[in-house]
Amino acid sequence: TLRLIYTTTAVQRKNVGASGPEKYTEAFIKKQIEEFNLGKRHLANMMGEDPETFTQEDIDKAIAYLFPSGLFDKRARPMMKHPTEIFPEQRKIQWGEDGRPFHFLFYTGKQSYYSLMHETYEKLLNAQKYQDQVTAQDLPPQKEKKNLAGSRWLTKIELEEMLLEKLSDNDYLRFILLLQKLMTLPCGDIEEKYIQKFSKEVPAQLQKVVIEPLKYDERGVAFSTGEGTRKTARATAVVYDNGTGKVTVNGIDILHYFPVLQDREQLLFPFQFLDRIGKHDMVCTVSGGGRSAQAGAIRLASAKALKSFVTEKEVEFMRQAGLLTVDPRVKERKKPGQEGARRKFTWKKR
Amino acid sequence: YSSPSPLALCRLTQVRWSRYNPSFLEPEVNKELYQKPWEELSEEEKEKVELKAVQPIKAAPPSVSSSVFSDPMISKFTNMMMKNGNKVLARSLMAQTLEAIKRKQLEKYHKAPEDEKEAIECNPYVIFHQALKNCQPIIGLSNITKGGKTYQVPVPLKDNRKRFLAMKWLITECRENKHRRMLMPEKLSQELLQAFNNEGPIIKKKHVLHKMAEANRAYAHFRWW
Repeated sequence: TLRLIYTTTAVQRKNVGASGPEKYTEAFIKKQIEEFNLGKRHLANMMGEDPETFTQEDIDKAIAYLFPSGLFDKRARPMMKHPTEIFPEQRKIQWGEDGRPFHFLFYTGKQSYYSLMHETYEKLLNAQKYQDQVTAQDLPPQKEKKNLAGSRWLTKIELEEMLLEKLSDNDYLRFILLLQKLMTLPCGDIEEKYIQKFSKEVPAQLQKVVIEPLKYDERGVAFSTGEGTRKTARATAVVYDNGTGKVTVNGIDILHYFPVLQDREQLLFPFQFLDRIGKHDMVCTVSGGGRSAQAGAIRLASAKALKSFVTEKEVEFMRQAGLLTVDPRVKERKKPGQEGARRKFTWKKR
Repeated sequence: YSSPSPLALCRLTQVRWSRYNPSFLEPEVNKELYQKPWEELSEEEKEKVELKAVQPIKAAPPSVSSSVFSDPMISKFTNMMMKNGNKVLARSLMAQTLEAIKRKQLEKYHKAPEDEKEAIECNPYVIFHQALKNCQPIIGLSNITKGGKTYQVPVPLKDNRKRFLAMKWLITECRENKHRRMLMPEKLSQELLQAFNNEGPIIKKKHVLHKMAEANRAYAHFRWW
């Protein structure tokens, strides 16, 4: 029989709590953990590294070295990870030897979900009682800390993993709406801790963009490079400071390379957005794609290069104007049984 | 924090999809919005800005740029005029139309006496926008089947639909009712100037539609939305 390993709990279709004895007993998992730790030390000795400071990354590299595999799917290659990652968490048996379930909501079918809803509603009632007390005593209003933008709720899959139970979309929605209602009330510290269990920090600014420092060439002029892609076109742009606004593409002036006005507009878009039209020189190389794709690729490349010349705020403005995102739209493939990607064959009645 | 999108609430599977993740927002190209200092923004706008800082944003499409010359209405009109994906031709026709409008208005301007000179509008973009506005119908008719018979029921139109109808009427009018040798820019400029002065066949078509809606007023209660 095949056993499903190295998956999330959400993938397990069968209701494990109702079926027979546990497939992975606690003793089994403990033994696996001991074996894993021993194996880690052996591996460290084999590779000549220090067993005490052997991290998971080192294990991965060692396994990739000792067992080279040409398989394309990374998940099919040999791996050595901690047993908690490999054997998905399963619920322990919910009933005792006499057949009587432990939890009082067992017969609802989704015991952890309903118990969670009960707890959240209890917190809501507490918050309302607290609010009534505060208004009765005429105390000054609570401080309002709203960091709406910095955090997000758990996704449905994450919540399923937390509860070890499958949820439906409706259930998940109801829970989120309840949490939002709780949040909008003037919460005390108790509820904040409870809410933090179900929220995740989003990186404060989606500025995962890396701003590189300027480089200086032989004449002392500052320059920076950027790369851009669009459909099948690949472009590299080098933007020089103290320039006249000349733009060269593959050794040819843009007036000759891009006879269409729209493409030239796209090339100048980042400069026009930052009000730096006559101040920079640009030399680009581009290959692949068509005329519009090449223009889009150079636009991305020049916007990335200009990041190093500009303040952080302006980089954020560029990002919000859509200048720094790679356009993921590509030509859709043709499907069998249809004439094109979307167009079907002419329907004939007979 | 944001609640799940309305599409997710409906629990419907989508046939129309896009290469972007649904969490991506539309880009805002207008430079002036970014030059406002932080203190001048209202509460709502500050919240919007904070939310935007955390969400990923789609790439700006190639037809849009932050220069003064790119206008969303004009781009939409150019796309509607385009045939078989020939954007170069459509754009050149649009440019020639605007040039023709400017020339005609300048001719009028130089011939007019001193006191009327200020009343003549020379900016082709202003003329285009005003003409489109004048062509937009207020009510439309929709077919509703009740008891076996199909009735034409007067129905209020959304802004998008109004703009689309005005542009569509303009283009079909220019393609069909012209002399065989007349070129599109000339005919278009003629129609736009006529629409700007509230005359011409497209305005007539709009009035006919309004009259039909007024005539079918009796069936207005058939509408349930």
